[in-house]
Amino acid sequence: MFEWLSNSYYWSMILNGLTTTVEITLFGVAIGLVLGTLLAIGDIYGGKTIKGIIAIYVEFFRGSPLFIQIFIAVYAVPALLSIRIDHVFLAFLVFGLNSAGYQKGYVKGSMQTILDDQMAAGRSVGLSRWQTLRYVILPQAYRIVIPSWTNEFCSLTKSSAVLSVVGISELTAAGSAISFQTFQPLATWVVIGLIYLAWISAFAKIMDIIYEKKKIPGIELVLQ
Amino acid sequence: MSDFVMEAKNVFKSYMIKGEKKEGTKVVEAVKDVSLQIRKGDIKLIFGPSGSGKSTFLRCMDMLDIPDKGEIWLGDQCLTKPGVNLNKARARIGFVFQHIYLFRHLSVLGNVELALRQVLKLPKEEARKHAMAALEEVKVTDCVNKYPAQLSGGQAQRVGIARAIARQPDIILLDEPTSALDPELTGEVIDTLRDLAHEGTTMLIISHEMPFAQEVAEEMIFYDEGRIIETGPPSLFFNAPNTDRAKQFMTRIINRTTR
Repeated sequence: MFEWLSNSYYWSMILNGLTTTVEITLFGVAIGLVLGTLLAIGDIYGGKTIKGIIAIYVEFFRGSPLFIQIFIAVYAVPALLSIRIDHVFLAFLVFGLNSAGYQKGYVKGSMQTILDDQMAAGRSVGLSRWQTLRYVILPQAYRIVIPSWTNEFCSLTKSSAVLSVVGISELTAAGSAISFQTFQPLATWVVIGLIYLAWISAFAKIMDIIYEKKKIPGIELVLQ
Repeated sequence: MSDFVMEAKNVFKSYMIKGEKKEGTKVVEAVKDVSLQIRKGDIKLIFGPSGSGKSTFLRCMDMLDIPDKGEIWLGDQCLTKPGVNLNKARARIGFVFQHIYLFRHLSVLGNVELALRQVLKLPKEEARKHAMAALEEVKVTDCVNKYPAQLSGGQAQRVGIARAIARQPDIILLDEPTSALDPELTGEVIDTLRDLAHEGTTMLIISHEMPFAQEVAEEMIFYDEGRIIETGPPSLFFNAPNTDRAKQFMTRIINRTTR
């Protein structure tokens, strides 16, 4: 049942797939964090129009299946604009945009727990609003956000499986190919599942270590 | 040159408190036509019932709350005029909060250094030198590498004062600097303020520490219901205030502190 595991050809497929999965999730989480932070700041300080646009953005990316978002981006957008865009790039982009929709909520929530007093303190010493966000608010908010960030990462890693339908050979696509070639679907999916599990557990562990390391001394339960 | 380090001219400020229901929303007129002048070296002390708008007025002085009407002057500069660089102005004003509000993720030294580095743009060594001098002034040099959550209330507030004085501001505004502390910790903060007073630091303080007021304040300002009710030297308030409201308030305060 597991004989195919001794064939390095399958392992290189798995390795390539895993690399793509890792790349796309890390990219998605990173873009999502940057964009999510900007959305959070916009939602806190923006006027009615900006808040409205952000609300629609978040509802769109949170309220529709990722599968459909990627499908539209990869097949409909280039056709409508009648340009050729690399579909791997488009898929990466949608991943980031989607994650930003969620991460905006995490970042905003953690900012709000500290915003009032820490902003006043920052302004009182002469820092501008941006400087206070950069040097005071965000360093604290990101510490609080780490556990949610770990969750977002786990969820995105698994969501990346939908990319196989638009022809991107990530880990699940590799699994499909292997199960066709070996006629051992059960064994293949068990192995692929274990690889997901191992990668996600390892990453979550790393994040836990970072969370502990970054804890502010003297604050046991980090703010709330 | 203006004679005054800071001046408030006919300042008004009101804000809304949102209740559970629509009818619950009410407008609080915290500052109603308040004017105040502070000369270099002055120590003025504002006191009055809680909820009377003292803190809002002090926040208006630092433009942390923007006045609805009236003018705030810092030396020759009108801060309430549109287009003024308030960050630069605030760098010249120290502010000490009732609830201290240290930057929680920074060490004691980091708290004091941040504005020196990012606002005054001092090079690293020079910022450190100024920060250490300020921390020496408030006598917390033994815990410069600790974090705010590891400090006692008294230490934390002294760091708050160091953060405010490190830039050598023209004036320091203090919003009830001891009222959030345990009674046995107020002494060390009062000692620090007394040191500053003897060095000629210009200060506007909201406080109900009456022995301290009597010792250092040139002028006491009784504030109630958004207005300055009466001003005068401490001797006036401790002997015979002119207004009934000040009389009643002083009686209550003195009974409380001597009990």
